[in-house]
Amino acid sequence: MSTIDTLRGRVGAATESDNPLMALLRPPYVFLLPISILLLVMFVGPMLAIIVFSFQTGNAISLNPSMWTVDHYAEIIGGMVSGEGVYGDVLVNTTAVSAVTTVATLVFSYPAAYALARKIDRYKTVFLLVLIIPLFTSVNIRVFGWALFLVKNGVLDSVVTLFGVSNYPTMMYQRWTIILGTTYVYMPFMLFPIYLSMLSIEDETLAAARDLGAGRWTLFRRIILPLSKPGVIIGSLFVFILSLGADVEAQILGGGSIFTMASNINYSFGYSQNWPLGSAQAVGLLIITVICGIIILRTINLKEIASRGDA
Amino acid sequence: MSVESRSLTDRLGAGAWYAYVALVALFFLMPLFSLVIASFYDGRFFSIVDYEFSLDWYRAALASGSIRSAFMNTVRISVPVTILSTIIGTGGAIAYTRYEFPWQEQFKLLALLPIFFPLILLGLGMSMWASVIGLGYGIVPSIIGELVWISPIVMFVVSITALGIDPNVEEAARDLGADTITLYREITLPLIKDGVVSGAIFAFVLSWNNYYIVSYLSGAQSTITTWIHGRMTQGFTPVVPAVASLIFYVSLLLVVAAFVVEFREESG
Repeated sequence: MSTIDTLRGRVGAATESDNPLMALLRPPYVFLLPISILLLVMFVGPMLAIIVFSFQTGNAISLNPSMWTVDHYAEIIGGMVSGEGVYGDVLVNTTAVSAVTTVATLVFSYPAAYALARKIDRYKTVFLLVLIIPLFTSVNIRVFGWALFLVKNGVLDSVVTLFGVSNYPTMMYQRWTIILGTTYVYMPFMLFPIYLSMLSIEDETLAAARDLGAGRWTLFRRIILPLSKPGVIIGSLFVFILSLGADVEAQILGGGSIFTMASNINYSFGYSQNWPLGSAQAVGLLIITVICGIIILRTINLKEIASRGDA
Repeated sequence: MSVESRSLTDRLGAGAWYAYVALVALFFLMPLFSLVIASFYDGRFFSIVDYEFSLDWYRAALASGSIRSAFMNTVRISVPVTILSTIIGTGGAIAYTRYEFPWQEQFKLLALLPIFFPLILLGLGMSMWASVIGLGYGIVPSIIGELVWISPIVMFVVSITALGIDPNVEEAARDLGADTITLYREITLPLIKDGVVSGAIFAFVLSWNNYYIVSYLSGAQSTITTWIHGRMTQGFTPVVPAVASLIFYVSLLLVVAAFVVEFREESG
């Protein structure tokens, strides 16, 4: 009998003979309860609140409103369709930022992930560490670092002055500056999934293909590319949804002059104090996030990652 | 001859891979370098030619009352978040990896989904929710809010370690007569210890650096990251890079420590 069967037997016996409430005090329920309660109350609740609030009128907010309205949705979707007002710009900016960020992180991460997984032995830990450290530094601090780098009289300025370049277009407050920021911030989320999927390709597979006469291009197209596809899919979904939420990047590198979906939501909440309108915009983000999140979670297999950890 | 020339191209090829990864690493470190360079410069704008090294901004940072109180708030939030999220996340990981129960896959979806959410969405939702359920704003709501994002991450890290353990070890312990408490104290927890320790370090660093969630839930209390953000967007002073560098140094030390724990586990 396997461990799982034994344990299930014990849990079954406990629930049958005892008070069902007491069963909650036994494993696995005693371990499940804290995280389940936390997430039901503080994660599911807030997300439902966003949906409920998006259908309310004015700024009257209650969980059980007397008036329901779809005006906010009509305003946002109408603005996006006609391209007029702020929503047209927001749609263009957000799509540009997220799509370009996804492509850019993919293009730059793929060779790096390949090199880390298959070509680099010496100093590999040091390289991995360098790539991980930014993930654990506050987003706004890193974006601030880029601002210090790019701004007039900043680091870049003093470097190029050494080479006699003094007249060049400003680097800040452009759409591409925001894209630089999001590419920087979300690149690890592309790099590491691809790296993990590259680690799973066995040397024997490549050696066998080579023995059968596969050239470099065939090797890449027929073996490496298909086997790294799960990493590419997970990474792309990850980067796409996370860069939809890019707010600090737009605020600091865009100088508050270029609005993305996230910064516009934030604006609706903060400055114009229109919670229902902000909520209606957030619902769009919420739906995309839940769909992509579920696809990611169904694609990744924790057991597989665990078995690759020692590779 | 042909063998030699091939090994030369191979070596050049290998060098090119190293060079590329080094470039990516440089890109990753660029803003952090900029921050550290700016934090030691004696003036508002700097140039590399007449760079003047100064520790004044660090002195000013350590002497300022508002920075000190923001720092204390950050500690008041991160320490409880680290302890609670380690307990909650490890519990979730043990339940998910060591048992079978109804709705297990749905549980995994719910428990890991917050990791994939843009933090602005979590922050906004929780800030409205806090006003609806009367939770309010401040240190305690910030702790609860961060737990929602960090506990799933701890669960993820610990699950990876726990899945690497042979389930037969636990079965053997049971056959030898270990009761549940003994089993956990003597077998399961020691086996997943490295995962729990690195999970706890990651929890602390992520909480220490959290911006979005605390900015929506902390109310009038400012933490280091919200203090920096306020000064960045309005009323920049040269002390900002010094404060940002200080919190980066702490993260750097701890991430290296977590990496050493993981690396020791792999080679041992």
